[in-house]
Amino acid sequence: MDEPRIGVYTCWCGSNIAKMVDVVKVAEDLKKHKGVVVSKDYKYMCSDPGQELIYNDIKEHQLNRIVVASCSPRIHELTFRKVLEKAGLNPYLFEMANIREQVSWVHTNREVATQKALDLIRAAIRRVYWHDALDKREVEINPASLIIGGGITGLSAALDIADSGHQVFLIEKTDTLGGKMKQLDLTYPYMNDAAGLLEPRIDRVKNHQRITVLTRTTLKEINGFIGNFEVTVNKKDGSEEEFTVGNIIVATGLKTFDPAVIEQYGYKKFPNVITSLEFEQKLQKGEDVLLEDGREPQNVAIIHCVGSRHSHYHEYCSRVCCQTGLKYANQIKANLPDSNVYNIYCDLRSFGKACEELYTTTSTRKSLFLQFEKEDYPIIEPSGQNLQVRVNESLSGEQVIVPADLVILLVGVEAQPDAKDLGRQVGVSLCGNDFYIEKHPKLDPVATTTDGVYIAGTCQGPKDINDSIAQAGAAAVRVLETIARRKVQVEVITAVVNEDLCCGCQTCVKVCPYSAVSFNEEKGVSEVNEALCKGCGTCGSTCPSGAIRSRHFTDQQIMSQIEGIMNEEVV
Amino acid sequence: MAFEPKIVSFLCNWCSYTGADLAGTSRIKYAPNIRVIRVMCSGRVDPTFVIKSFREGADGVLICGCHPGDCHYHEGNYKCLRRYHLLKKFIKQMGIDEKRLQLEWVSASEGKRFAEVADSFTETIKKLGPCKAKSVAETLVR
Amino acid sequence: MSKKKLNMAVYWGAACGGCCVSVLDVHEKLLDVIAAADLVFWPIALDTKYKDVEAMADNHIDITLYNGAVRNSENEHLAKLLRKKSKILVAYGACAHLGGIPGLANFSNREDIFKRVYEESESTVNPEKIHPRPKVQVKEGELEIPEFYNDVMTLDQVVPVDYYMPGCPPQTDRLLEVFTAIVEGKELPPIGSVIGAGEKAQCEECPREKSENKTIKRFYRPWEIEDDGKTCLLEQGVICMGPATRTGCGVRCLNANQPCRGCYGPTIEAPDPGAKMMSAIATMIDSDDEAEIEKIIEQIVDISGTVYRFSLPASMLRRKIK
Repeated sequence: MDEPRIGVYTCWCGSNIAKMVDVVKVAEDLKKHKGVVVSKDYKYMCSDPGQELIYNDIKEHQLNRIVVASCSPRIHELTFRKVLEKAGLNPYLFEMANIREQVSWVHTNREVATQKALDLIRAAIRRVYWHDALDKREVEINPASLIIGGGITGLSAALDIADSGHQVFLIEKTDTLGGKMKQLDLTYPYMNDAAGLLEPRIDRVKNHQRITVLTRTTLKEINGFIGNFEVTVNKKDGSEEEFTVGNIIVATGLKTFDPAVIEQYGYKKFPNVITSLEFEQKLQKGEDVLLEDGREPQNVAIIHCVGSRHSHYHEYCSRVCCQTGLKYANQIKANLPDSNVYNIYCDLRSFGKACEELYTTTSTRKSLFLQFEKEDYPIIEPSGQNLQVRVNESLSGEQVIVPADLVILLVGVEAQPDAKDLGRQVGVSLCGNDFYIEKHPKLDPVATTTDGVYIAGTCQGPKDINDSIAQAGAAAVRVLETIARRKVQVEVITAVVNEDLCCGCQTCVKVCPYSAVSFNEEKGVSEVNEALCKGCGTCGSTCPSGAIRSRHFTDQQIMSQIEGIMNEEVV
Repeated sequence: MAFEPKIVSFLCNWCSYTGADLAGTSRIKYAPNIRVIRVMCSGRVDPTFVIKSFREGADGVLICGCHPGDCHYHEGNYKCLRRYHLLKKFIKQMGIDEKRLQLEWVSASEGKRFAEVADSFTETIKKLGPCKAKSVAETLVR
Repeated sequence: MSKKKLNMAVYWGAACGGCCVSVLDVHEKLLDVIAAADLVFWPIALDTKYKDVEAMADNHIDITLYNGAVRNSENEHLAKLLRKKSKILVAYGACAHLGGIPGLANFSNREDIFKRVYEESESTVNPEKIHPRPKVQVKEGELEIPEFYNDVMTLDQVVPVDYYMPGCPPQTDRLLEVFTAIVEGKELPPIGSVIGAGEKAQCEECPREKSENKTIKRFYRPWEIEDDGKTCLLEQGVICMGPATRTGCGVRCLNANQPCRGCYGPTIEAPDPGAKMMSAIATMIDSDDEAEIEKIIEQIVDISGTVYRFSLPASMLRRKIK
């Protein structure tokens, strides 16, 4: 290995880091460190001039290793690796020290924070010394795609991809396409007919020559990696089908909250207490809105936040219910002009294009708005042959009782019950509420941490139809992007067996969750299939001989980090 | 001067490291005694690293991984769990208080929890005092 | 003109004598050995004195095989002396290489050991609780015995070592190979190397059948199983250090149907002699349930002693904190 010539760059990040870490002192102190040729501090390392600083120093000082102490590597590791590449250095001869998210933003004593930053940067300097140049690996992309879920999101993504000229396999676990949108009568805020929007899309998908639709079909197994996923599905006739795709979009949609657990709402206990979707069913029939016994309702209560924004049920807001409630208020007033409509809400969140206007319109149509405090749910109780709603109305400060022949519960949005299992199959993690987790909440909402697998629609979190369609398009573009490139880079941080050291004990073989490790009987040693290896490093820490090397996370590299952290003396 | 422990912490890239970053973006403050080493998976944490940490003078070692069932690589955290329990037994045998090694599950969305774990583990180590492993290993007592 | 004979020395520190026996085990080849080398110092076999060594010029001895660990002042004194007087110093056998069985004393300390041996042991009568002391006055004058150290040390923890020959004891064939190479003037491996042992671990030479089913639901002591004689012992639940231990012994324990105990020491990529085997053992536990894992681990009687049976002083932590 050539003599290390390390360049260390400590970032101010404006005042984000500099306020709590003495970056000037840090950069100065590190000049003395063994192997460090250049140590500088700069206001914004990720900016163009910041990157140029590294580029120029590499050229001028023949640097062969770079350390940047700044934000989390999860943000800019790729940015800086590209700078090394541009300057002719292998991008893996680079290490970052996280002194922002994990130091300056979380500590309050400048002296202590500076010391911690120094420890972490020393660890990075010691580690980078042991870094190896790793070569990029590229594989061909299979241009076909798999879309899981045949609701509005899945349908839209399928059309976007298929219209661009590529094959799509669309699997749907129920009998029909259309998802939850199929159960809607009208959509807010413009009161468009949902079927009128949905059915043409379903027709186009069914008749598209590049879309293979498989209903009553579920995912059995997925193996492989981006560009080459081997998919096995269970079809409706009980048989299995296998096909290969390059990308996967998960658009499995939502489930509605079951309000039976909220005893005071009397769902399934009292007649005429129904959920929003059950009300949609009534509306879809196109007849008059009637009670169970055939009478016309005189008083309709619409209860908001059912199962949402409550510490006992779901803490999050389900995003679509308020506008849906306003939609119903309008539809009921149109259908039964003499009826009384009570909107019983907590906070009215009618945002989005034309939705504030919907709220204003609804309030002019003489429907009453009654507000309850968060978690202080109203009580539905019998009143003669009808019902009444008892609310601790917070704007007036009084308890108000309103009659209600029909109660519509605006139930919240939940993740599908099989979200966890499916997530495991495709390699997507869940966040606290069982929705799928995106790669970055702001910058990358449709990608996931598994390359080639995207999420779109309500399976990622509550949202309405237009946002779902927008996400479907976003995911489709990402898929088309990789197809257009024809090749994709795969994981280089893989494991490799040293055949001169492997004694053939086979302890490693079953340890790999991707079956990437196998035993070569002829050679008497284990082997890692680098195409399947995802670089978790489990086999590397299992091997009793130390014969498996976890690239970029080798024993030597990690132990040098430990030494760097714990040893204050400048080497 | 009060004892300020130095704790080496192994965080897995997908869950706990991200959770620690979230504590940062949320500006949640916690004890400054943790020194993080990022690994791709808690399954990469070799017992050798834990032993090395104590050997180099760490007063405590904290390993964080994804909650059982949520490992980005499916099962790595279970391997970590098995090694953790054997390591506890081992360090106890070597005269190191087993409370100096801790395994916690922290997800990517648990920034607050990471801060709480950091604080509570730091408290635990403060109560135990400095770990003598390094000085004992370095001093050949004749 | 006959080639100049090598000067060779063999010394035992805290040892059992087995390594010296392994040298004697060359049997008839001893004649070849003494044809090529003058044994200038070998307490077990020859009437040579310390003062003879002290009188030698530096580097007078071409090769010294120091076996046994360093656990008292005499061991250390001779280690330093022989280092000075030898061109090549070999840490011969597990004790000099890694600390060996005497190294297990690092789970204890001098105070507790003396208490146990000189006060509490069942057949001892020592009401005044007299412990050995380095110096004592008797009517004839002052008597001196070596000072008993608190810590057992490997040879390289007191002097720089040129080569390590592992084993408890090293296999005699390996010794002859090394000796022949030196005599024939062959190029020796880099200073600090392990010689007389293979690079790979025991499984390479072990006659048993290995499979990928390296999972353990229950740990057994060797006598607790009905060994089928052909399946890998680990797969039968018996802890065998084979996968972490260098070859060179001719798989002698496995050939006797006993699990390898690790006396040939770790492979070159192991930063610590026992930690990687500990990781492998834990990884093999066939359970994802915390309570079950803990229960299975309870069946491992002495994890530290198992993985560091011959190497505690050479391990990263070196000794138990007492």
